[in-house]
Amino acid sequence: MLYYLIVCRSLTYAQRTAAALERAGITAHTLRSPKSIAGEGCSHSVKISQRSLPDALRILQRVGLTPKRIYITAGDGSYQEVEL
Amino acid sequence: MIYLDSAATTLQKPPAVARASARAIHRYASPGRGGHPPAVAAAQVAFACRELAAELFHVPDPEQVVFTFNATHGLNIAIKSLVHPGSRVVISGYEHNAVTRPLHAIPNVDIRVASSPLFDQQAAVRAFRTELERGVDVAICTHVSNVFGFILPVEQIAQLCRSYQVPLILDVSQSAGCLPLDAQALGAAFLAMPGHKGLYGPQGTGLLLCSADASPLLEGGTGSESIRQEMPEFLPDRLEAGTHNIAGIAGLLEGLRYIKRRGVEAIAAHERSLIRQMGVGASQIPGLQIYLAENPLAQAGVLSLRFEGQDCEELGEKLGDRGFALRAGLHCAPLAHKTAGTLDTGTLRASVSDFNTHQEIQQFLRVLKTLSKA
Repeated sequence: MLYYLIVCRSLTYAQRTAAALERAGITAHTLRSPKSIAGEGCSHSVKISQRSLPDALRILQRVGLTPKRIYITAGDGSYQEVEL
Repeated sequence: MIYLDSAATTLQKPPAVARASARAIHRYASPGRGGHPPAVAAAQVAFACRELAAELFHVPDPEQVVFTFNATHGLNIAIKSLVHPGSRVVISGYEHNAVTRPLHAIPNVDIRVASSPLFDQQAAVRAFRTELERGVDVAICTHVSNVFGFILPVEQIAQLCRSYQVPLILDVSQSAGCLPLDAQALGAAFLAMPGHKGLYGPQGTGLLLCSADASPLLEGGTGSESIRQEMPEFLPDRLEAGTHNIAGIAGLLEGLRYIKRRGVEAIAAHERSLIRQMGVGASQIPGLQIYLAENPLAQAGVLSLRFEGQDCEELGEKLGDRGFALRAGLHCAPLAHKTAGTLDTGTLRASVSDFNTHQEIQQFLRVLKTLSKA
């Protein structure tokens, strides 16, 4: 199943991001970023389904939360950065 | 025992506080350090605590809510972020050593005391205005004197600081959870508070509400940007090096939930009525000097007393023997005593929480009366 990972600068930022999405009815799950996409070391990401991305981006823009990077993955260990 | 030392630490807490701390010890690990369920559970509690604190204190963003070990820790971060060698700093005449000692530790700081008479709120505003007009780099003010319960008019002082574009650090140790606080309206650079007083959390907890750039007091692991050897630039990670006191934070969250349910206004009104009862009753006891504001709105849940010819520490001991817990002496605030003229003797301090009752105050007054006769 395809899903997106929204990479955030910190755990708290990821929690804020997930909370904003959940409040808007989008299922969002906070997790530690896979090592290959973590960037400067440890980071946290928010996982959302493929179909939720357009709505999620709109909501995050509205509440002033900026994703650091976004990746798409099929859950097979490969990640591809999404150009916004 | 009747506990009247809540200005130091509230002893009676909502039962959920201890339960949550105990649960955390058994079930929670460390936020951001692992993706396993105990780490995730810890992260959820920490975030819930930040979110609720942001809501209660009107902070726009939970990332601005930083966990500290106590108010002193938060004040040290705030002061050492804004005050540098040679800085000119104005403080009120009622500051605690948690403010004055860090200031004295920074070389060549010009500390100006905006001194004003006890319970005279407008005099406090005038004193701050005078120093701000002279030119200062930073202002620091306690919201409530921990010795006398004097409520400083921080809204007006904050407004003055904004108009002079001087960053303000507020020590809200005695007011957080006991008086309404709106961080956004105040516009202060930092608000520092302990978790273990009016927020009913465990000892070893505190919050620093940040609206200005802050320098870390400690460097270390944050669970973020681990490859970099500099501390992260973003909050709260920048100021939260090392493992969190998650058992304390879990308890603090329950304390905050209690305040939200009960309402700060209701707590303030209850504490005020207890102090008025105590003050009015004590004023009828011969030989007892009390520090009670004429205007009830100028005093929070703290009352200082002195018995003529009796050492305040000895009086505190006698009350302790009779089952009353109060604190005597200088209360780590020699500046406040100097301002009020009680530095030589100190005072006996009674301080209440939402859990004290009018019956307890009556019992206290009865015992005070017997001691006056003795």
